[in-house]
Amino acid sequence: MTVNAHPNLDESRLVEALKRGEQAAFTEAVSTYTAGMLAVARYYVDPANAEEIVQDCWVTVIDAVRRFEGRSGLKTWLHRIVANRCKNLLRTSHREITTDFTERLEPELESRFKTSGRWATPPKLRFDESADVLLENGALSDCLDKHLGHLPENQRSALILYEAHQHKSDDVCNILDVSASNLRVMLHRARQKIFLMVETFQETGEC
Amino acid sequence: MLMCRELAGIASDYIDGELSTGRRLSVQMHLMMCRHCRSFIGNLRASTELLRGHSSARVEPAVIDRINHRVTEALSHRPETPDPDPDPDPDKDR
Repeated sequence: MTVNAHPNLDESRLVEALKRGEQAAFTEAVSTYTAGMLAVARYYVDPANAEEIVQDCWVTVIDAVRRFEGRSGLKTWLHRIVANRCKNLLRTSHREITTDFTERLEPELESRFKTSGRWATPPKLRFDESADVLLENGALSDCLDKHLGHLPENQRSALILYEAHQHKSDDVCNILDVSASNLRVMLHRARQKIFLMVETFQETGEC
Repeated sequence: MLMCRELAGIASDYIDGELSTGRRLSVQMHLMMCRHCRSFIGNLRASTELLRGHSSARVEPAVIDRINHRVTEALSHRPETPDPDPDPDPDKDR
């Protein structure tokens, strides 16, 4: 994600250049927004098909961006294009997305409580140092990549859109077609897995 | 009285400010008395923040190259005036 002091100004310049069909603008937009679009696509379809869908969406965008009115941000607009295309495909193929939203705790964490509801195996270490300090450890960063790759697709997409792309809850619910309460469960389950991963890494140095 | 397991179940809602006032107060009361849950919340929050700074949405350069290739090709066939058909407009089903 590009961080700058005037993101809206830069975005409107980018949009205007995209409307004019400037190659450089598309190169910049593809490099900035493809990651999020892939996260959306992978929520709905197999990873193998996700890239093709995102490619098709970019081709669509070449023409569609001329009608972009800026009612939402460019990122949200692009993510919705991907979501809509995926939903249309699912409607024709009748593929269903099944998820268990009833359990809020990961089994591995659940087993760390006594029947009384108190901790049997509480967290041993505090690792709430700044995230930057933790990420300076390249091995931890690699481990995070690996574990993100192993998350169920729906949790991974929710986490990436909410955390890495900083979408608001409403937008994530709209793009992924989930209720607010189910989004809460997906985010919480995914975060617990990352927490358990960091804990193991801090304690043992192993991923 | 909120137990540790129950708190662990709603920890993300607490971190994101998604709890009702009553629920939030009972979490805060519990946290004042329970260092284990303070550690847990702190660690869960740190884990979450890791993702903000991390290139968690990294894409292989080859994927970007393939998209750029298709876009370049499509741009060369781009008509001068927009297609009158407004589909797809993702805003229209909001």
